[in-house]
Amino acid sequence: MNNNKLFAFITVLICISSGLIGCSSPASKDGIVAHDILNIKHHPNTVLVKAQGGSETGAMDSSNISNKDFAQAIEESIIESKLFTRVIHGEGSDYLLNVTIVSMSKPMFGASFTVSMEAAWSLSDAASKEAVLRKSIKSSHTVTMGQALIGTTRLRLAVEGAARKNIQLGLEAISELQLK
Amino acid sequence: MHKLYLKIGVIFIIAVFMSGCAVNRATATLDPTADLAGIKSIYVTKLAADGRGINLLITKKLTDMGYQASTGISVDIPQNANVVVTYEDRWMWDITMYMLELTVTIREPKTEFPLASGNSFHTSLTRKSPEEMVDEVINNIFSKGKRNE
Repeated sequence: MNNNKLFAFITVLICISSGLIGCSSPASKDGIVAHDILNIKHHPNTVLVKAQGGSETGAMDSSNISNKDFAQAIEESIIESKLFTRVIHGEGSDYLLNVTIVSMSKPMFGASFTVSMEAAWSLSDAASKEAVLRKSIKSSHTVTMGQALIGTTRLRLAVEGAARKNIQLGLEAISELQLK
Repeated sequence: MHKLYLKIGVIFIIAVFMSGCAVNRATATLDPTADLAGIKSIYVTKLAADGRGINLLITKKLTDMGYQASTGISVDIPQNANVVVTYEDRWMWDITMYMLELTVTIREPKTEFPLASGNSFHTSLTRKSPEEMVDEVINNIFSKGKRNE
């Protein structure tokens, strides 16, 4: 292999690998579901879950949570914890749970990645529209290089961890309510 | 051989910077239990780390929109403030410093519950000035509020 061929080969490799630097994987729904929430009350009501403030993960973007995945993860956490008797899709639920991702601070560099997240949790009576819960919930999660060597994986796990903790804290706050 | 390494180095640096490409995002959310229609007085809480006066840009924008807006530190919130505005700005360097991301949140003064929020994210190739970022975020938040009235 002469110098020109070597140069061309390395150039192609660098372009491919540098393109991958910006690539990242979105937070997965399964990684966000909050399992094993202890001492939770079981409300004899049904709920409709809506999520907003999330975003899709672009090819050159950092790890994000989509609204669909976030809503599904909240639903699965509710079903698993039995916080409500049923999750309803569409009309006819007793309560409407709206969760908005307000901010998510993600690091760009570092050996340990800590992601901080704030979400607005509101629960309202579906019939009267009266709010029974309005709470800002903040959570954070750190993933070290020992837990994930690849930066994009480390960031995704930190995002998932922060969202998972947020869901846990949100459901615990709802559990403390006295619902009709 | 030195020239070869130099060429590889230059291409690598160009490729790394090119991978930033253009990412544009401008979103706004409104909690279904929130109502922005009755807002008259707004207090913009200055972010302690903000040395660029973004709180002043937000206050000016809100004043231009007809609101009674003031700004200061978080302990000086006026009694008559209907809502409090908080914000987070992120900056990057690419030849010059530019605002990469701005998040503005409108909160209930007592509970700090986020009633509405907006976020704009523009990478280097499609960068906007801080004034344009503030305009975009605030306009998106309040137009979202109007659509839900």
